Amino acid sequence: MAHEGGITVEGLTVRQPETGRTLLSEVSFDVAPGESLAIVGESGSGKSLTVRATLGLLPRGLDATGRVVIDGVRVDDDPRARARQRGGVVSLLMQDPFTLLNPLRRVGRQIADGLPKGADARTEVPRLLAEVGLPADVAGRYPFQLSGGMRQRVGLAAALAGGPRVLVADEPTTALDATTQREVLALVRRVQRDRGMAFVLITHDLRLAFSTCDRVMVMYAGRIMETGGAGAVRDEQLHPYTRALLAAEPPADRRLAVIPAVPGSVPAHDAVAERCAFAARCSLAVPDCLATRPEPLAVRPGRLSACLRAAELPARPAPAPGVAPGPPVTAAPLLDLRDLRRSFAGAVRPALDGVSLTVAPGEVVGVVGESGSGKTTLARCVAGLERPDAGTVTLDGMDCSDYGRLGRTAVRQARRTAQMIFQDPYSTLNPARTIGATLAEALRADGRPASPGDVARLLGSVGLSRDMAGVRPAGLSGGERQRVAIARAVAGEPRLLICDEPVSALDVSVQAQILALLSDLRERLSMAMLFITHDLAVVRQVADRLYVLEAGRCVETGPADRVLDAPSHPYTRTLLSSVPTGSPNWLS
Amino acid sequence: MRPGWLRAPVSVAVALLVLVLAAVAAAFAPWIVPGATAQDLILGISGPGPGHPLGTDDLGRDVLSLLVAGARTAVPGALCVAVGSMVVGNLAGLPAGYLGGWVDALVMRWADLVFSLPALLVAIVVAGVLGGGYGLAIVVLVVLFAPTDTRVVRGAVLEQRHRPYVEAARMKNLSAWRIMTRHVWPNIAPVALANVFLNFAYALVSLASLSFLGLGVAAGSPDWGRTLSDNRTQFLANPWTVIAPGLAIIAVAAALNIVGDWLYERVDARGRAR
Repeated sequence: MAHEGGITVEGLTVRQPETGRTLLSEVSFDVAPGESLAIVGESGSGKSLTVRATLGLLPRGLDATGRVVIDGVRVDDDPRARARQRGGVVSLLMQDPFTLLNPLRRVGRQIADGLPKGADARTEVPRLLAEVGLPADVAGRYPFQLSGGMRQRVGLAAALAGGPRVLVADEPTTALDATTQREVLALVRRVQRDRGMAFVLITHDLRLAFSTCDRVMVMYAGRIMETGGAGAVRDEQLHPYTRALLAAEPPADRRLAVIPAVPGSVPAHDAVAERCAFAARCSLAVPDCLATRPEPLAVRPGRLSACLRAAELPARPAPAPGVAPGPPVTAAPLLDLRDLRRSFAGAVRPALDGVSLTVAPGEVVGVVGESGSGKTTLARCVAGLERPDAGTVTLDGMDCSDYGRLGRTAVRQARRTAQMIFQDPYSTLNPARTIGATLAEALRADGRPASPGDVARLLGSVGLSRDMAGVRPAGLSGGERQRVAIARAVAGEPRLLICDEPVSALDVSVQAQILALLSDLRERLSMAMLFITHDLAVVRQVADRLYVLEAGRCVETGPADRVLDAPSHPYTRTLLSSVPTGSPNWLS
Repeated sequence: MRPGWLRAPVSVAVALLVLVLAAVAAAFAPWIVPGATAQDLILGISGPGPGHPLGTDDLGRDVLSLLVAGARTAVPGALCVAVGSMVVGNLAGLPAGYLGGWVDALVMRWADLVFSLPALLVAIVVAGVLGGGYGLAIVVLVVLFAPTDTRVVRGAVLEQRHRPYVEAARMKNLSAWRIMTRHVWPNIAPVALANVFLNFAYALVSLASLSFLGLGVAAGSPDWGRTLSDNRTQFLANPWTVIAPGLAIIAVAAALNIVGDWLYERVDARGRAR
C-alpha cells in the first residue's frame, strides 16, 4: 500500500508522557502522488499536530506512535531516514511569510540553500523563481523589500528547491490578504499538479479546502470526524460536525437571519476519550453517542464518517434564504467623518487620504478593505486613539477631531457615546486583573453602579456565567475573552460601538456565536456600529451600509446588498471574487 | 501542575533558608554575638581552630562572629539601595514611558546626566562636602542606580502602552494615573522585581567600595563588603577572613535571585496569556 512518492499514515497517536495526556489518536490517511488532501479543523482539532507528527517535527515532550510511510520508506521508527528525506523528498511550507525568511540574507541565497548537492544555483534559482511567477531579479533582494504574497511565493520556491515529492502546507495563506490568498493557492495547486506531488494542506476554512484539494479530512478534538472527496463532502456531509462547521461559515452572497452557531467550544481530547467528541454540542446526539467511541467507518465507497448515525442523518436542510437588511435610516448622523487624512512618518503614502463617512443612530456601517487600506486607522481616529492630520470627526454633534483639545466633560461625553472592541482576544484584556475587576471598573467609569450583582448581570448579558468574575483572562478561551471585551465596551450602553476586526482571530463556530451576540446587543441597546473587517462574508451578515476602502481612499459606498450584489468598482469585484466559494473553479 | 507553597523545589527551599538566616543575623546580631568586635591583640591572626571555627583576623576578632555581626549593615543597606532605586525608577519610568513627550524627554535627559557622571568622583565630592555616613552612602547609590531602573521600567512600559487593554482603558476615560498604576504597572512588576534582586548583589559590593572613600561604613567595622576589602592582605595568613564574607555575599545574592525567579514564575504563570 506504500506507493512510491506518496504518503501513508496509519494509527498515528500523539501523547505527552509527562502528563499522560493523549492529544491525537488513531489518525490514518493516505495521499497518492499527484493527489491533494486538505486537513480541516478549528484550533484544538489536532490538524497541525497531525502534520508535525507525520514529519517528525513534534515539540520536545510529545511522543508519536503509528506507522508513517513517505515515498515508500517507513520513517516513523527511523530518524535517519527522516533526516535524509527532510528538505528533499518532503517539504513544508510554513504559515507566516513574514517570519519564515531570514531578514538579513538575500532571497536567492535562501532558495539556493535548499538545492540538492551539485545543482547550479545560477541557473536553478531563476528557474524556481519563474515557476512561482516571480522575476529573476527578486533573487538579489532582501525579504523586507517584498510584499507578503511575494514572500510566500519565495517560501514556495525554497520549498520546491529540493525537488520534493510530498509538499505539506500549514495554513499557508492565513496571514495574507484575501486577494493574495487566492493567487498563492492557485499557484500552489498549479505547481503541485505540474510536478505531480502529493500535497497536504492544513486549513481552518472548509470552503477553501473544497476549492483547493481533491479530498478533505475533517478533524475535531484530536480525531478524524469525516473524510471524502471534496465535491462529495461539499454536496453532502456525513457527520454533524462537518455540517455545523460549514453552516457556521457565513455566505458572502446573502444575509442570513441567524448564523447557525454551535454552542460551546472544542473539548480536549481526553475529556471526550470514550465517547463521540462532538456529542455534547450535537443536536442529533442520542444516548449511544455518549456511551461508545465511534470509529471512522466507510459509509459508502471513499467516504468515512465517525458518526454512529451517519447512515440515518436527516437530509441536509435547504440553504437558508437571505433576508433584506433593515430599511435605510434617515435620521441625522450620529457619526460624521469629513475628508479625514492621516499620514505616518516614513510611509510611502497616507494611511487615510480623504475619507468621508456617516453612521446614523442604530445603523450598522461596514468598512471593508485589505491590510494597508487604512480601515484600522479610520477606527482609531474615530475612537480618539489616533489624531487625524486634517478633516473632522463629529460625534453626536460634537467636534471630536482632537481629543487633546476637548475639555474633561466633553471627553467623558464622547467616551460614553462611542466605545471600541479590538481584534486580538489575547491582549484585549489586562492579564493581571480578574474579569470582575475589569468589568466593575468599566461600569464605574461609565457612571453606573458596580456591585458584584451588576457585574454578574453584565456577564449574563454577553452569555457568560457569573462565576467568571473571579477568573483571570489566562483561564478563558478566545471567544470568552472577546465576550468580556464586548461586555466592557457596552457597560455604559454606548450609542456607537466601533468594532475593529472583532471576529477575525476566532474560529468559525466561535465567530458565529460572537456575531450573534453583537446583533443581539445591537437590537437590545439600539446601538449603531462601525464594523471594520476584511471579510466580505462577515460584513454581509451585519452591515446595513458599506464603505470599500482601497489605499486610504473610499472607492465605493452604498447599501450592503447593492454593493455586494452589483459592485460597480473593479476593486470591489476583485475582493468579492476572492471569497472562497467551495467550487473547484474558484482558483481558475 | 501548580506547585503549592509547600512543594517548592529544593533549591528554593535552600535559598529561603539562607535568606531567613541572613535576616535573623541582621536583626538580632547584637544579641547573638554580643562581643563580635572584641579584640584580642595578643592572639592576633590565626587559622581555624578550637574556639574559633573560622579563625581570627589580625586584631584577634573571631571571623564567624564578625560574619554574623556584618549582616546587620550589609543586608539592610543593600536592600535599601535596590528597593530605593527601583521605587525611584518606577516613579520616573512609568510616566516617562506612558505619557511620552516632554515628560519622557525630561526623565531621559536626567538619566543621561547621571549616567555621564563618574561614580567615584560623585562619591568623593559628596563625602568631602557633606561628610561620610552610612545613610548618605545609600542615598548616593540610589541616585546612581536609579537611571538604570528607570530605563528598564520605561522600556517595559513602552511595550505595554499600545496593547489593546491599555487602549481600552483609555477608551473608558480612566485617568492616566489610574491606567499607569492599576493597568500597566501590574504587568511590568515582574521585570521590576527581577531587577531588584540583581541590584542587591551589586549594591552590596558597591557599598563596600564607597566606604573606601570615606562614605558608608567605618573602617574596621564588620560589614561584609568592608571586611572583604579590608582583609585582602590577610588572605595568606587566614584565608577565611576573606572567603567568609565573600561567600556570604554570593550566597545571599544567589538566594535572592533563586527566590526572585521562583516568585516571578509563579506570578507570571498566573497572568500569562494563553
